[in-house]
Amino acid sequence: MKLSAFRKKSPWILHYNAGGCNGCDIEILACLAPKYDIERFGMINTGNPKQSDILLVTGPVTKRSRERLVEIYSQMPEPKVVVCCGVCACSGGVFRDMYNCEGGVDQFIPVDVYVCGCGARPEQIIDGVVEALSILEKKTKAMEETVQLKNQPVNEGTQLNRRNTAAAIIQPQ
Amino acid sequence: MGKQYEIPLGAQHISLLEPLHFKFTTENERIVDTQANLFYVHRGIEAACCSKFKFRQVSFVVGRVCGLCSISHSTAYSQVAEKLVKIEIPRRAKYLRMLVIEMDRIHSHLLCLSHVAENSGYEALFMKTMQYREFVMELLEAVCGNRIQYDFSIVGGVTRDLKPMVAEIILKRLKIFLPQLDELMDIYKNNWTLSLKNKNAGAITRADAMRLNVVGPFARAAGLAVDVRNETEDLLPWKEVGFEMITETGGDAYARNILRLRELYISKRIIENIIHGLPESPLVTETKAFPDGEAVARIEAPRGELFYYAKGNKTQVLERLKIKAPTFSNVAAMVEALNGNEYGSAPAIIASFDPCLSCTAR
Ligand code: SF4
Repeated sequence: MKLSAFRKKSPWILHYNAGGCNGCDIEILACLAPKYDIERFGMINTGNPKQSDILLVTGPVTKRSRERLVEIYSQMPEPKVVVCCGVCACSGGVFRDMYNCEGGVDQFIPVDVYVCGCGARPEQIIDGVVEALSILEKKTKAMEETVQLKNQPVNEGTQLNRRNTAAAIIQPQ
Repeated sequence: MGKQYEIPLGAQHISLLEPLHFKFTTENERIVDTQANLFYVHRGIEAACCSKFKFRQVSFVVGRVCGLCSISHSTAYSQVAEKLVKIEIPRRAKYLRMLVIEMDRIHSHLLCLSHVAENSGYEALFMKTMQYREFVMELLEAVCGNRIQYDFSIVGGVTRDLKPMVAEIILKRLKIFLPQLDELMDIYKNNWTLSLKNKNAGAITRADAMRLNVVGPFARAAGLAVDVRNETEDLLPWKEVGFEMITETGGDAYARNILRLRELYISKRIIENIIHGLPESPLVTETKAFPDGEAVARIEAPRGELFYYAKGNKTQVLERLKIKAPTFSNVAAMVEALNGNEYGSAPAIIASFDPCLSCTAR
């Protein structure tokens, strides 16, 4: 089986708090707990950006956590999906225009799924992550297509055969 | 003297919910020096409360300082604002505030315990504790309308009444919770594997705790009897509803676990007492006054003493608002308690401090 098949069945989640109030973070923790049990989708919380497929961000981006957020995002391998949890990750929410907040994750990294609510309920978070799964699948397909395009053999009829041309030029001497 | 290594922990780490950064200097796996770097989540809430928001809106904003103890924040702010506009809130509102604060304490303590268990490498106990915690989230939703961010206390009273049906459900669920709490107590107390990780980990002596001004469960586990519920009687009548001071000796992670569990019994008793003796009165005291003068309020949040200071100048917008969160008082002691421990148990020790950085950094 290929890696992509496993990725669809068992995406790994990376969670980062970019300055939120912890409210959405404990709801993510509640998702891992037996009642909501996000592990039935094969998801597991990892601490390592290099192994993760889905980035769950909470909180308005503060000036100090901005660089960390971009750093973590760029360390994740393609394909990757970003889900922002809670209204303050989507747009800044109540913290919008406070002097140390940048407001909204999508100003710094591309966001695929927005989960709103303050705080976002576990059901909503699960909904958002399942949505992220289908996006992950689409992104994987798009990547595989480009790989296939690269591996296409050169069609003899349409391409100029440089070696023959060169041989024809060299031959007379 | 062996070779010294510097090991960073954070800002993003699997065992941390929030961004915080520790730099440990280790020698033969032992931590000899710690540097803490906490203010990643500073948002500037105090400044915004004094410029952008009117004083009645601020109680909703300060709830967003911290999602774990949002009721403590909004209640403390409401108390300060009530002192500034000089009103006395109805008795029923006081009781309802205490009810939600205690329910919040149950969920916060259980979250902390589960986090300690997870970071000690005890995944099954994490799951168990989180499973038992879920009932109080449901009850909080029934009482306040939201699982977190209750927006329950406003200036002058509370927003929602306790319906008799909900009160009945709370009593019923608490009865189910009691044997579960006993079970947790048994595991945290007697499990040999867990105590290997937690006993003598992150210990602090009573004298040190006194010197470093520790508050909350951290101090009570070291034998210091500090609890705001024991001191201020004017704003919320804690003694009336059966508050009792609990202390442990030992001051290590194990003592903190046991202390938190024992406090849950008290919380449960307080909730039952409140529901049985809920006085009849309106929910809100109306007033048209503007805040004037200075005031302070203190309240016992799940992590310790929360302090609010506010100053008004007869306009809609406050002149100054100052928030001092419990974790801020504990940082010095946290750094001290980490020294001398194995590096491997550092995540569990940090979890047992129950730090709340979004409170600290505001
Ligand atoms: S959306 Fe609300 S609950 Fe979630 S982190 Fe932001 S302020 Fe906290």
